Amino acid sequence: MDYGRPSLADALAAEYVAGSLRGPARRRFEALLPGHPALQAAVRDWQARLMPLTAALPPEPPPPEVWRKIETRLWPQPSASLADAADGLPWWRRLGVWRGLSAFATIAAVGFAVLLASPAPVLPPVVIVLQGTGEGQAATSSFVASVSGDGRALVTRPLVQVALESDRVLELWSVPPAGNPHSLGLISASGLTVLPRDRLPETLLRGGTAALAVSVEPPGGSPTGVPTGPVVFAGKVVL
Amino acid sequence: MKTDPQDWPERSRELSQLLARAGLGDRTAFARFYELTSGHLYAVVLRIQRDRAGAEDLLQEVYVSVWKAAASFDAARSQPLTWLTSIARNRAIDSLRRQQAQPQTDSLSRVDDGDDERPDPTEALVDDAPGPLALLSRASDARELSSCMERLTPVQRQSVALAFFDGLSHAEVAEQLHEPLGTVKSWVRRALMSLKSCLERGVLRDATRHESEA
Repeated sequence: MDYGRPSLADALAAEYVAGSLRGPARRRFEALLPGHPALQAAVRDWQARLMPLTAALPPEPPPPEVWRKIETRLWPQPSASLADAADGLPWWRRLGVWRGLSAFATIAAVGFAVLLASPAPVLPPVVIVLQGTGEGQAATSSFVASVSGDGRALVTRPLVQVALESDRVLELWSVPPAGNPHSLGLISASGLTVLPRDRLPETLLRGGTAALAVSVEPPGGSPTGVPTGPVVFAGKVVL
Repeated sequence: MKTDPQDWPERSRELSQLLARAGLGDRTAFARFYELTSGHLYAVVLRIQRDRAGAEDLLQEVYVSVWKAAASFDAARSQPLTWLTSIARNRAIDSLRRQQAQPQTDSLSRVDDGDDERPDPTEALVDDAPGPLALLSRASDARELSSCMERLTPVQRQSVALAFFDGLSHAEVAEQLHEPLGTVKSWVRRALMSLKSCLERGVLRDATRHESEA
């Protein structure tokens, strides 16, 4: 089949999304997708058209063990939220957790030497959402910043690309509980930025930073060391 | 949680944020995302994969891959609920294929390659869940989509509903409606195309209205 013909590509995308394209034809279509941006766009358009139909289905809460299995598969170590969930359970269920923990303690005692040799457990990262502060597009959008649990790495990402004049850049600031903001560096308006660790204050997650903020600055960043342009995004650091 | 079609875009904002946080490793955000979406997703999957244990496994697979793909989700390109529902539907349709491939592989080889799925769809249809047509009229709360759906002929509507909600192949829809395969295929095809042009006319109308107001 000639998938290059736009009308055919669109018709196939429609049937693929509707679910009626099946068997070998569906498999061929899926195999072609990664290499065909036009097909991908047609599929996205059809998904946007048809998926809202599923809103008519009455929601059906899945049994609780589904989430438990997902957690176990994604994060094999017992996580904080599992422990929290146990608080709301009757005592006999909590007993199960308790038993699990003492079994773990036994294993830990036996395998102490092994544990010592393995790397320290990774603390979950702290995520800060920076909401738009101004008007227009930026007001409804937001930035997400993630600080590694040890406070040594910071990654930022806008939810939607931020529209900027061509001679303007975005700068990220650490706002202390008192005193002037401290620049953490320039960040991308469209994608991920990993901030150099030497720019991060050591007290980032230990009370040294009350909030993070993003300002619009001239190329190269603020010439004065404090924000000069409007602060377009800001978010409190909640530990 | 109840999903009204009208809420689809509104809910998307919150879900986009949760996904973005999950993409950066935030487990609490992902748990909340699951809480808000799993009821809807399980309902979608169950319509297609009627076996509950199978549907639960599928749901698990879907969320595990969503966690892994969360960082690549692009809020500018699609709405999170659309993205998520599409992933789940694809998995569910694939699971029907695998299920069928197990007992008999190619005994049902067909001249046409579009339709070679489940052998007995009628069995799966006997239950008291709302029929696909009822669902379609309920979905029709979404204004534009509904008025476009109403313009389809009744058989076109029914064919699309069976294929879309219950994951039936053309052959199964044909069997359900006691119509020849070729006829059903062209119904579905024409239904989807008239749906598309109807929706596009709506968008154009909105755009011109917007211009005249401005």
